[in-house]
Amino acid sequence: MAKFEVMVGNKAVAYAAKLARVKYVSAFPITPQTTIVQYLADMIANGELDADYVNMEGELSCQSSAMTAATTVRSFTATSGPGLLYMHHPMHMTTWARLPLVMAVVHRSTKGMQPDQMDTMSQRDTGWLMIECQNSQELLDTGIMSFKIAEDERVRLPTIFMGDGYILSYTSEPVELPAQEEVDAFLPPYKRPYPMFPEEAKEAMALMSQMWNPFVDPQNVWKQQQEAAMNAKTVIREVNAEFEKWFGRSYGNGLVEEYKCEGVEAVLVAMGTIASTAKTAIDQLQRDGRKVGLVAIKSFKPFPDDDFQRIGADVKAMGVIDRNVSTGTLGGITFTELRHSLYDLDERPMTLNFHAGMRGKEVRVEDIKRMAEKTLKAARGEKVTPLVEWA
Amino acid sequence: MSKPVPLSKLDEKEFIVPANSACQGCAGSIVARIVSKVIGEDMVRQEVACCGPAFGNITQPVFYGEVFEGAGAMMTGFARAFNRLGRDDIRVTGIIGDGGTTDIGFQGLSASAERNEDMLWVCYDNEAYMNTGGQRSSATTKFAATTTTPVGEFSRGKKERKKPLPILVGVHRVPYMATASVAYPEDFIGKLQYAKPVKGFRFIQVSAPCPTGWNYDPRYSVKVAKEMVLSGLWPLYEVVEGALRITYKPKELKPVKDVLRSQGRFRHITDEEVDEIQGEVDEFWGRLQEKDGGPLF
Repeated sequence: MAKFEVMVGNKAVAYAAKLARVKYVSAFPITPQTTIVQYLADMIANGELDADYVNMEGELSCQSSAMTAATTVRSFTATSGPGLLYMHHPMHMTTWARLPLVMAVVHRSTKGMQPDQMDTMSQRDTGWLMIECQNSQELLDTGIMSFKIAEDERVRLPTIFMGDGYILSYTSEPVELPAQEEVDAFLPPYKRPYPMFPEEAKEAMALMSQMWNPFVDPQNVWKQQQEAAMNAKTVIREVNAEFEKWFGRSYGNGLVEEYKCEGVEAVLVAMGTIASTAKTAIDQLQRDGRKVGLVAIKSFKPFPDDDFQRIGADVKAMGVIDRNVSTGTLGGITFTELRHSLYDLDERPMTLNFHAGMRGKEVRVEDIKRMAEKTLKAARGEKVTPLVEWA
Repeated sequence: MSKPVPLSKLDEKEFIVPANSACQGCAGSIVARIVSKVIGEDMVRQEVACCGPAFGNITQPVFYGEVFEGAGAMMTGFARAFNRLGRDDIRVTGIIGDGGTTDIGFQGLSASAERNEDMLWVCYDNEAYMNTGGQRSSATTKFAATTTTPVGEFSRGKKERKKPLPILVGVHRVPYMATASVAYPEDFIGKLQYAKPVKGFRFIQVSAPCPTGWNYDPRYSVKVAKEMVLSGLWPLYEVVEGALRITYKPKELKPVKDVLRSQGRFRHITDEEVDEIQGEVDEFWGRLQEKDGGPLF
């Protein structure tokens, strides 16, 4: 039987790892992630979770050891901001070895402790799948789904599920905890992805020469990663739909969540807690007769190109809110990715960009309403400047 | 306590297949051959950036992590995961160079030793970053010319002493720590055989001269290694649960002068510089003898 409990986002993350029955947890403290590994330590100390828990000496080692453990058992680690930056090198290696490791990232800026997406965006091209969450329930559910997505034979890529620090990590909300038996039925036991045992030496050698033989084509490794990441679009949709069947909850189509987008002229595009605040703004605007909806990006990697092409063909303007900056490029990172998706359309909507919420700067409902009004103005064909603004 | 075992006592089966891309006279590949024979069918090997890939023609499963700094952490993940599935028969073994052990890998080494992770870490010590062309490491001996400590009008080679890594590992009070040399395979095999079934963190640092980096005739690798032991430049000892024992005692140490001068990397050094190294060798050998049979600290 599922039960409700009021808990902070970090506890929901710890429950996701527990319900997935992880067997290896590597831990290192960094605010605002730290309480995740504290909750897991308690669960193991109390006998609620049977896993190896290793207090590592830094995030680089957290990532490196969880990577090799994932050759054999289901593994988990968690981090934030600078800790994630410190993991960068072994993160590439985890993808390169095609290990379905799952990691929680509690967003923290690269400067200061408050949240923005600079930590995960700095890992954009490490080959990890990246799935964003808007609330504690979503963190728990997405955590469980992440294992199933990462471990799918068609994908087998490491996966980050993530949420904003403080706003989610330390905020209490009621969360429905699924029953262990149901999670067990939804998420089958871990299949060792590699023959690593000594008696499997021949198999291991054959696999190595097949996967990493530089004389075949040195680009093969990346080609296969790319194919797997693109396959993940299908797998994420399937897993999201299956989760709905088991637990009665799902998140859009798994890749994007379209909020009140029927018959709108314009949409805002946002991620994480900004998207959840934007829902309130959209409610108020639609009450006042404004034809504007919201598209929340759930899967940042793989990027939902197909969904944005479909949505982009139906609206006249899209206003993208970016809690990140890519200096030297016209706009934020999701803005850039979105415009890239829309390029092939015969008739493209107008796109606007708003940098907001950097290093935890508050993004209020009024701020989002103003962004929506500007986007609607563009949808009416009026000239709006600047194209990219610092909100 | 280890006992010397001759190579002829080992099973004939080889795990290192003939021919590899190591340099002529590579002592590192002797280390790899001996380790793979002694640990045998039970071995899963961790490799990081080092000369290892050149002599990595070993047929036991291997995980080549390009995480140069990650040997300790990666072996931790393997050891924990294998043990969790009840496979504590698997010997997680690292054949790691000196850079990946004493420099960039030192944090992970110390942390794995502190947590007493179940792994065997064999460092083949060729005293520099030889795979990248012989750059100085903290394992390089003082005054040695390397490609980043060249000898010139304003430079006498490396300025600093060799990091006393075996002692540093020993003071972590790990179940087993030893030094070894490719010139004394009986001693090395004995130490590996002793370490193999021990649970927890085991560390062996093996002197593995490098003709390419040290600049001597490749046929003399074992001879050079032997002279380093006979002169006290590389004493053979072990620390079992904190107790130190010298495993090979030359009756009288040979002067370091001829040993150093036989290596191109030391060809430039003056008599005063030889005396400085001789002084340090004598002092360290004296201390070892004082501690022999007793606690390391």
